[in-house]
Amino acid sequence: MTATRWLLAYALAVVAITFVHQPLALAGLLILAVAGAGKARRQLLKRALAAIVTFNLTVSLGYALVAGLRGEFAFGYLLLINLRVLLLVFLGFWFVHRVNLIHALSFAPGLASAATLAVGQIQSFRRVIGDFGLALVSRSPEPPSLSDRMRSASAQGRDLLDKSVAAAQESALAMRSRGCFDD
Amino acid sequence: MHIPDGFLSPQTYLPAWGLAAVAWWLAVRGLRHRFDEETIPRLAVLTALAYGLGLVMLPLPGGTSGHALGVAPMALIFGIVPAFLAYSLVLLLQALLFGAGGITALGVNALTMGLAGATAAVVAKRLAGRRDAAGVCIGAWLSVVVPAVLLALVLGIQPLLGRRTDGTPLFFPFGLAVTLPAVLIPHLLIGIAEAALALAIWRHAKRRKWIE
Repeated sequence: MTATRWLLAYALAVVAITFVHQPLALAGLLILAVAGAGKARRQLLKRALAAIVTFNLTVSLGYALVAGLRGEFAFGYLLLINLRVLLLVFLGFWFVHRVNLIHALSFAPGLASAATLAVGQIQSFRRVIGDFGLALVSRSPEPPSLSDRMRSASAQGRDLLDKSVAAAQESALAMRSRGCFDD
Repeated sequence: MHIPDGFLSPQTYLPAWGLAAVAWWLAVRGLRHRFDEETIPRLAVLTALAYGLGLVMLPLPGGTSGHALGVAPMALIFGIVPAFLAYSLVLLLQALLFGAGGITALGVNALTMGLAGATAAVVAKRLAGRRDAAGVCIGAWLSVVVPAVLLALVLGIQPLLGRRTDGTPLFFPFGLAVTLPAVLIPHLLIGIAEAALALAIWRHAKRRKWIE
């Protein structure tokens, strides 16, 4: 099966899952997905749990509190929402683990090229932001003040803008020199 | 601010995907009818810029911080359409590579944060006329607050759209009375920090003569 067909299958599965409202059925589907993920299952499950824990915990605790006070608490709802979100996020990570996302976007060559360049730039920008954070900490014997942190944030923004404009020009030249835009 | 997968009903995210698909098609068509040597690298780097600005932590009083959206500086410097497309691509990559946001919620997230946020910033800047700094600050503040209101509305109507016969919710459990203050109040503060960031970037862009 091609990467694009995997993408289509993933999209259909995601839509179908949002029509399932039985916790048992979702638990069964989650077990099937985890079992089908092979050796990567533990790592994928850990990543999925880490990705959802903050939002889901907030919503779940909020629901338990509000619904409990109103006498409307339904444990089935907590099971339903947490299983559904975990299953959807797990499927997303499994899809990306199994299929090359750039190949999956090959039905739109422009989109695939933009995604390829963007992912490379994103990695470089993440490193820059990390360096800025470490630099601020190393320059601050005491916790930095609000104005120090604001100055640091604006310096990060300006630096990203400069790097972006330079990177766009470089990418265009590099792609042209490799014949990317030749008909 | 991103809505993750699983909290939106199909009655919400399917029409939103439809609307977003039309908006994406019109936006791509507007960029000289196709991707070429100018648009592909520019879109890619704007995407990375939007992602990078989203990593910039904006300080909030009390030692806490929230992250920037980054839509306002992009929209003010490069325009609504590139900002919308770049932010949509960011949301797609965040959903698939990092599990932030979601693939079902992509349409809603792109329309609210990408399109409405960018439009709010540019409209406010234009309405401010020659008062550059005020226009940028109000535009950037609105680029955070308007999407926050829209996302709170979308989340808050979920209990009405999806629930069992006994009233138990099937998707997001809280109504508008909870979602509006819970989403809006922190973003009123984040909007102020975003405005300061956008103004710094705007002045920098003007010094570099990227904008008139």
